[in-house]
Amino acid sequence: MDPFLTSRFVTDLLGGLTNGVEYGLVALSLVLIWRSTGILNFAQGAMPMFATYIGMGLLSYHVGYWPCVAISIAAGFAIGGVTERVLVRPLYGKPEINPIVVMVGYLIVLEGVAAAIWSTTPRSLPIPFSPIEWQLGGKPIALSPFDVYVIVTGVIVMTAITILFQFTKLGLQLRASALAPEVSRLLGVRVGRMLTLGWMISTAVGTVTAVLVASNFFTGLTPQVMDSIFAFGFIAAAIGGLDSPVGALVMGIVLGIVLQFVTDYLNSNSVIIVALVMLIASLMIRPSGIFTRNASRRV
Amino acid sequence: MISITGLNVNFGAVQALRDVSMRAETGKITAVLGANGAGKTTLLRTISGLKEPSSGSIDFEGTALVGQRPENIARRGIGHVPEGRGVIGEFTVEENLRLGAMTAKVNLHEGLDEQYARFPVLGERRRQHAAKLSGGERQMLAMARALIARPTVLLLDEPSLGLAPLVTAQLMHLIHDLCASSGLTVILVEQNASSALRIADNAVVLHLGNVVANDTATTVAADDKLRQYYLGMVE
Amino acid sequence: MASLTSRRRLASILAVVVVADVVAVVLASSAHAALLSVVMITIALGGAAAATTPGLRAAHPVTWRATLCAALVAATLWLTFFLPATTNFNLATGASMSIVLLGLSFLTGASGQISLGNGAFMGVGAFAVAIWANHHSSTPIIVTLLIATACGAIVGLLLGLPATRLRGPYLAGMTLAFAVAFTAILGSFNSWTGGDSGLQLPVALTPPRWIVDLFHSGTEILTTNSMWLADISILVTGVAFFFMANLFASRTGRAMRLIRDNDVAAELVGISLPRMRVLAFTISSAYAALGGGVYALINNAVSPSTFTFPLSVTILSLIVIGGIGTIPGALIGGIIYAYSANVISWITNNSGLNPQGNLASQLNGIIFGALLIVTMLFAPLGISGSVHRMWRSRREHRRG
Repeated sequence: MDPFLTSRFVTDLLGGLTNGVEYGLVALSLVLIWRSTGILNFAQGAMPMFATYIGMGLLSYHVGYWPCVAISIAAGFAIGGVTERVLVRPLYGKPEINPIVVMVGYLIVLEGVAAAIWSTTPRSLPIPFSPIEWQLGGKPIALSPFDVYVIVTGVIVMTAITILFQFTKLGLQLRASALAPEVSRLLGVRVGRMLTLGWMISTAVGTVTAVLVASNFFTGLTPQVMDSIFAFGFIAAAIGGLDSPVGALVMGIVLGIVLQFVTDYLNSNSVIIVALVMLIASLMIRPSGIFTRNASRRV
Repeated sequence: MISITGLNVNFGAVQALRDVSMRAETGKITAVLGANGAGKTTLLRTISGLKEPSSGSIDFEGTALVGQRPENIARRGIGHVPEGRGVIGEFTVEENLRLGAMTAKVNLHEGLDEQYARFPVLGERRRQHAAKLSGGERQMLAMARALIARPTVLLLDEPSLGLAPLVTAQLMHLIHDLCASSGLTVILVEQNASSALRIADNAVVLHLGNVVANDTATTVAADDKLRQYYLGMVE
Repeated sequence: MASLTSRRRLASILAVVVVADVVAVVLASSAHAALLSVVMITIALGGAAAATTPGLRAAHPVTWRATLCAALVAATLWLTFFLPATTNFNLATGASMSIVLLGLSFLTGASGQISLGNGAFMGVGAFAVAIWANHHSSTPIIVTLLIATACGAIVGLLLGLPATRLRGPYLAGMTLAFAVAFTAILGSFNSWTGGDSGLQLPVALTPPRWIVDLFHSGTEILTTNSMWLADISILVTGVAFFFMANLFASRTGRAMRLIRDNDVAAELVGISLPRMRVLAFTISSAYAALGGGVYALINNAVSPSTFTFPLSVTILSLIVIGGIGTIPGALIGGIIYAYSANVISWITNNSGLNPQGNLASQLNGIIFGALLIVTMLFAPLGISGSVHRMWRSRREHRRG
């Protein structure tokens, strides 16, 4: 019967943590692609959304939940790879706005095609863990088994990514391809393949997030499901610093928690407005990001 | 042996290399000399596949290199230490070396031991970020990184740039020993002609993309006209 | 000016104008129609003649632009007198959209930046007009539109100041966040913005009595109203284009293009990069708001569901297709917008698709998104830009 745990403060904190993990994962995907290709992938929400529809669509064919999740992630890998080779390759070296425009167009096309195939009616997904919050002495804590599932998944993904990039041969090549593509070529690294792989990993991470987000009992899976998450993910990445994966994750979680307080003390409309204000403030005060080392981003 | 025939390289309307033909003999050091803008770096970059020539051929052990991807050319055993060394500052010394050994079929630990033995300074600093190294240390790192892959050919682009004379001398000494001991074929691009000519077997002099001399190092070093006009060696 | 036009040329121009006027008088249906026709034709032909005076463009560029705009506007206005109501309405819509596109064309072409929030800025202008009209219904249209433009500029400054100082996609991301947030912003100020159902303008835009009497006495109210809407839109568009054309060619415009092409060089020459970029963004937002204001006047109502993120993407597609950085591109985009709904429903009906089905409802988004991708990959200069380039290479070919 701990009043602290059920207090408003802790409730908001825990409630925001789940969202924050999701924002952090999206922010991480954005930073991964930004660092390796210098492109901000505006379709970073839509591509995983599409992969999720592909995988989860098989539920109606009596495929089990976990196999569907696995297929979604595999679809995410595939979509990321194909997108990089077909759409992104021709854009390297072109003016900055070209990839932005193409990815935005891609975003709209993906949402349109998804809506055409599967309609805009929200689909509720089965979830492996209960979304009902635990009770402590009759009062609910803002944590349900499903929330823990989200957080644990987030932690697993972040750990896996960190291990991959920091401690494996492949990770070394991926990082080298992003930091010094020409030198890496001279050392025999197949930089082109690394870039494709970077997109594949990033989209797969995004798909894990999309599955988690779409499993929300109240919103379900819709073609627009990742739109606002993308906006929040971008804001988190921008505030944390587009060069910093750690910054992206941390800022995502912070943003999630802060916005939960906003929802509680103000209203849900104010959430995106507050996020926008935070972005403006951050860009005015510390433009290169809170976590970046080099401040060479100014015009 | 690398054999280059009739190489023409353009950057848009600017012709960087004009009908260049030369050979780098196996196990020998071939110096490529000339002033800034003569086309020396372009030559190395073209050999490594970073730049495509408009015409001409580059032959290595019976294989044509033109049209191949840089990473494939590197995997054939052609190492390249680029202009500015290309050391990855965000990586540690050891990560740079690991990257060098990555695509070669060498035992990583043996390779690391070998390079640390050859360059003890690198061994001391193995966990430091490469950005913290001095110019001379970076040059050593760049060389070690290229050497760890046990290349058969080594392309060196101005290794003495920014180094003190003493360090340069040590570097040239090292290159000479490497060549002698392991039969490495070296193409050494240098603006510092005198130190290059001291260790080279053959020398090619470029001027505005043209080959103006192609002979043994001793012959080129003795030619007064060459020394004055193209090599800036005032005696 | 006399030095630029020979006496013979003046005489032949005068002859053409007189002939055209006589023909118009003969064919006119009423004395009033004849009078108006004569005025419009004289302006149109006179303007066209002035604009094509050899050497005028080089010697007095601003005057040249003024005469060209006057000629085009007069010609289009004259047309509206004879067009059916739906066409006039489409013309008005296209005109309002082309103002928005002009702003975006300027932003991307002149300064190399991109905004994904022009739909929201359009909404800013539209709602500004609607809210103001509801509280001060007697303000003249021009003032209301200027207020809308100012609102757009202020919001643009607010967002642009932090974001344009940085390299990279920050402005794009910021404007995307704004576009997504716009509906929530409108919702937060429910009492002002009328919530989900939006706002109606208190007084519909109708032509003054004397115009109605002058021309279309006896014609349906709807036709005269549409004509009037089209006329207002075209006039505003003409003025907006005139200013933009001058801006493009001015020192400021050249400075911005230099920044777009080579910002290091621009800085060396002493141009303040952040200031120019903020200025470019503020101007483009102001134009978007102006377009939105006109849109509100045309439709006599505003609703939050119009100004969504997909609208911003549609706007982007339109200018990419029309031609980034060009002025004709904005006009082309406007026309495409005006008729896109018709084209898409024609496609739906004639291709055997179920008009109530999922694909049909998404066709708009899919087509514009796909066009955006394809155009950017294969013809990044758009229609206007590609034509211009073909012209230029043909001219050089002929010279060389």
